[in-house]
Amino acid sequence: MGKVMLEVRELTTKYITRFNEDIYAVDHVSLKVEEGKSLGIAGESGCGKSTLALSLMGYYFPPLYYTSGDIIINERNISGMDPDEVRKSILGKEIAYIPQAAMNALNPTQKVINFVEDVIHAHEPTATKKDIYDMARQRFEILGLPAEVLQKYSVELSGGMKQRTVIAISVILGPKVLIADEPSSALDVTSQKMVIKMLRDLMDRGMIKSMIFITHELPLLYNVTDDIMVMYAGQMVEHATAEQAVFDPLHPYARGLMGSIIVPESGLRGHKLAAIPGVPPNLKKPPSGCRFAERCKYVTPTCRAVSVNMREAANDREYRCIFAEQELREMYKNE
Amino acid sequence: MKHILHEAFRSPKFVTGFVIFMAILALVVFYPLFVTDHPLAIIGQGTFFPPGIYVSVYDTTNAPQYTMMLPEAEGNRIGAKLGDVEREAMREWLIDFGIPRAEIDIDDTAKLMTLWDAYYDPALRFQGMTSARQKYFARLDASLEGLLVMEPRVIAVPNTETGAFEASQSIELTDFVNVNEVANVRVLPLGTDNFGRDMLTQLVSAIGTSLQIGLVAGTVATLIGLTLGLMAGYIGGLVDDVIMFFTNLFTAIPGIVLLILISYSIGQENRGAVTVAVVIGVTSWVWTTRAVRAQVISLRNRDHVNLSKLSGHSIFHIIFADILPYILSYVVMAFILQISSGILAEAGLSILGLGPKTTDVPTLGLMMRWAMIYSAHILNKWWAFFPVIVAIALISFSLNLMNTGLDQVFNPALRE
Amino acid sequence: MKGYRKYFGAKLIWFGVTLVAAFMLNFILPRLMPGDPVAVITQRVTQGMTSQTGVQKVYEEYANLFGTTKPMHEQFILYMGNMLKGDLGTSFSQYPRPVSDIIRSSVWWTVSLQFPAIIVGWLLGNLLGALAAYLKKGWDKVLMPVSIFVSNLPAFGSAIILLVIFGVQLSLLPTSGGYGFDLIPNFSFRFIWSVFVHYQLPFWSIVLISIGGQAIGMRSMAIYELNADYVKYARFLGIKDRKIIGYVFRNAMLPQITGLALSIGTMVGGALVAETIFSYPGLGSTIFSAVMGQDYPLISATTLIITLMVLFATFAIEILYGFIDPRIKAAQTEQ
Repeated sequence: MGKVMLEVRELTTKYITRFNEDIYAVDHVSLKVEEGKSLGIAGESGCGKSTLALSLMGYYFPPLYYTSGDIIINERNISGMDPDEVRKSILGKEIAYIPQAAMNALNPTQKVINFVEDVIHAHEPTATKKDIYDMARQRFEILGLPAEVLQKYSVELSGGMKQRTVIAISVILGPKVLIADEPSSALDVTSQKMVIKMLRDLMDRGMIKSMIFITHELPLLYNVTDDIMVMYAGQMVEHATAEQAVFDPLHPYARGLMGSIIVPESGLRGHKLAAIPGVPPNLKKPPSGCRFAERCKYVTPTCRAVSVNMREAANDREYRCIFAEQELREMYKNE
Repeated sequence: MKHILHEAFRSPKFVTGFVIFMAILALVVFYPLFVTDHPLAIIGQGTFFPPGIYVSVYDTTNAPQYTMMLPEAEGNRIGAKLGDVEREAMREWLIDFGIPRAEIDIDDTAKLMTLWDAYYDPALRFQGMTSARQKYFARLDASLEGLLVMEPRVIAVPNTETGAFEASQSIELTDFVNVNEVANVRVLPLGTDNFGRDMLTQLVSAIGTSLQIGLVAGTVATLIGLTLGLMAGYIGGLVDDVIMFFTNLFTAIPGIVLLILISYSIGQENRGAVTVAVVIGVTSWVWTTRAVRAQVISLRNRDHVNLSKLSGHSIFHIIFADILPYILSYVVMAFILQISSGILAEAGLSILGLGPKTTDVPTLGLMMRWAMIYSAHILNKWWAFFPVIVAIALISFSLNLMNTGLDQVFNPALRE
Repeated sequence: MKGYRKYFGAKLIWFGVTLVAAFMLNFILPRLMPGDPVAVITQRVTQGMTSQTGVQKVYEEYANLFGTTKPMHEQFILYMGNMLKGDLGTSFSQYPRPVSDIIRSSVWWTVSLQFPAIIVGWLLGNLLGALAAYLKKGWDKVLMPVSIFVSNLPAFGSAIILLVIFGVQLSLLPTSGGYGFDLIPNFSFRFIWSVFVHYQLPFWSIVLISIGGQAIGMRSMAIYELNADYVKYARFLGIKDRKIIGYVFRNAMLPQITGLALSIGTMVGGALVAETIFSYPGLGSTIFSAVMGQDYPLISATTLIITLMVLFATFAIEILYGFIDPRIKAAQTEQ
């Protein structure tokens, strides 16, 4: 077992709306990522996966607020740490982030190199312009980006180029954990493949130690990450290896998610297409029982009455359902 | 729509604006039910009567009288004529005359009056005294006449036969009347304007007219803007180019210039309130056109519009059923802003002398114009212009608040 | 540089087009009056005039000026010829003073009053707006309603309020004119001081008018920018808030420059009315007295000059903007 790079215990964060309502978008989530490993997080839009990505950084600004739980990055517990300390010693250096919309992630009126200077100065105020330029240029070239990119404004770069520039900037300080929030979903297929190849490359070269990859396309994760976690309505509902989560999901929602997507990848063809009917519950007033109950095919009155916890299954798997593993397999077989 | 209204009424900004606007509207609607005078009726013979309660002096003598012994009555009586300013002025005159400062006690009314009565001479004009100052002292002296006299006043009536005056009634220092029992009392909460017209009645009527002007101007501008915006956005191509050319042109040329030229060309005789409103509307459609066009362009290729096109619906059906409902919010917001800028435009035009025909109706702008022409601001007759400014500011403040509230409902990014 | 040339070229052409349109409007509008425009104007100008020869003289003067006996295109050539010669006709209210002479004596008062005031107001407004957006809680609650209310005060309203407070109540500053009525313009200290003192109230009331609207626009812009993806991304890379505010301010300010170009016409309109309140010897007061005196040639010329001033200012701002915003350059080279 490798060294644990990121461990999250019972993390809860909430949004406070302008009408002062609390929305718990991340509800008691626990996870662990080891050195050299990657974790995928999947779920429908609005399930809390992007909020989880933001929450993992340990750096909150309104309307998102920290409520409880621990985030341990490279053996340092950052929850409760002074925000300015998090900013200086954690962000970018220990944990880095690739935003969902890389199209707009760069300041449109600033040259790429000037932004890189700002990033490095935020952590190493004494670095000289020349050192920064040399370093950035070297990094960019390793990642297959021409050095001219540094002298350009982000508006002058193409979509794919912009996304790769953002990735290169994100890892410039050699973070231990990289969180990629749907880094490829806005791109065309060629650029998507390029981005995913680049991320794998980063892991292989050791420029990052571990990675969390967030997407709404569960099958995409099969090719990218080691483990997969499925989220629903702010909670984790399934946690397994990529292989198991994609081909043998236990939770009814994970199964539905597999079926709701058209996948051209080989080996995944032939799966039935079945969108999950219904919408996720309103998180302002989450149901007291199972949150998926309203949309679940196998729902029983008990599901709505009792709160459901994560339970363990064979092969170190976890899922959140009142049915035992065997019962679920029986039900799935009878379909 | 119901949802939008529900959301809008949860926005404190919208609600504040709505309440202010409704209060103004209620004033305009209900005030005339209580005060039925014509708003332009000239009641005062003179300019700028200050706000207050006006009691008929004649009727006071006919009202039932009550005797009240008020200890402060004498002090008040003297104080009203002889304030600190007057006492200081009297000392100044006496010192200039040559009385040593130490001998003058301005707090002792009786002594001061004795000195004054003994030495004051209206004909004297000291070194450095302006003639205005000299006149001031003469007026002051006249007003002090009989100040310390404690005798009752006698009202005399001419004898119809001899023509000689005969005492008919004696008014004691302790006589009072009840204002409620005086036949004629007129409350002028905002005084009168330069023509002697009741400011409040005129103001309420002017708010009504200005709101109508705003409404008409807003409607005209919105209709033109909506039509042009829909055409430019939906038809596109050459139509779009031509419309946008004119829109950009009229954005570049200042609206006030067009307003001035057109208003002047129409001529004083033909400029009714409605005409002015239409002119304002005709010169202020550009922003609506831009906003509508941008929205329509973003809608034009949406699935539901394409579906409607494929179903063979007519262009009118598509516009009314598939496009208008989606841009309605922007149109409403633009309309609200047009109303308030219409009211402002009228005011500006009127100040320049290009407002509606003057003897017809009062408008906020015309009230401003007269106050300015009669230098109410220099003479410090605040009631002649300040309420008008406040009324204009409140109307546009309330409309803008509603607009901002709606904007926040439609564009969640602006919420705080 | 190629991109710039295209941008400036387009702006220059547009400037030319609007100039021509301004002259056309100035030419056409009076001719759109029903009936014989010369007769209509003459009738209006000569209201109360009893001498028949006087009326005839006025009629001929106008007929000459307009060339109404000739066909339209010749009239236009005549009109443009007069314009080029700087011949704007003869004033009727100040007969026989040439209109160009009146304009020449008032235009500089307006230019040196309004443009500095609008620019100062614009700067202050942007500063306040950015502050309001950044300090959201607290100050925003105070600043916003106040600036919304102030911006809703009509231009002449704030002028009058300032006049009453500082000119009448406190007697600190003169209430009307451009310099003391007992002075003759010269370069003495006394005259310059008098001009300076008379400048204050009109200047600050125009500043006040422009602040409110700009502050509100800037606040919306800055809030929009604060929610932009690049802000989130820069924060997660550990860049200090102060630096990020710098990005936001700059980016929000750029569209405000275009906003200024678009709204300068409206601002000038308001400021002209404010001028009349102070009887400032500029174009506003010229229009006021021209309307009073039914002086058509003067009204026509004043509005033309105002239009030209605004068009020129807009053009200058747009050229400046092209140099400041890199997006302009990028957008042009892409095409």
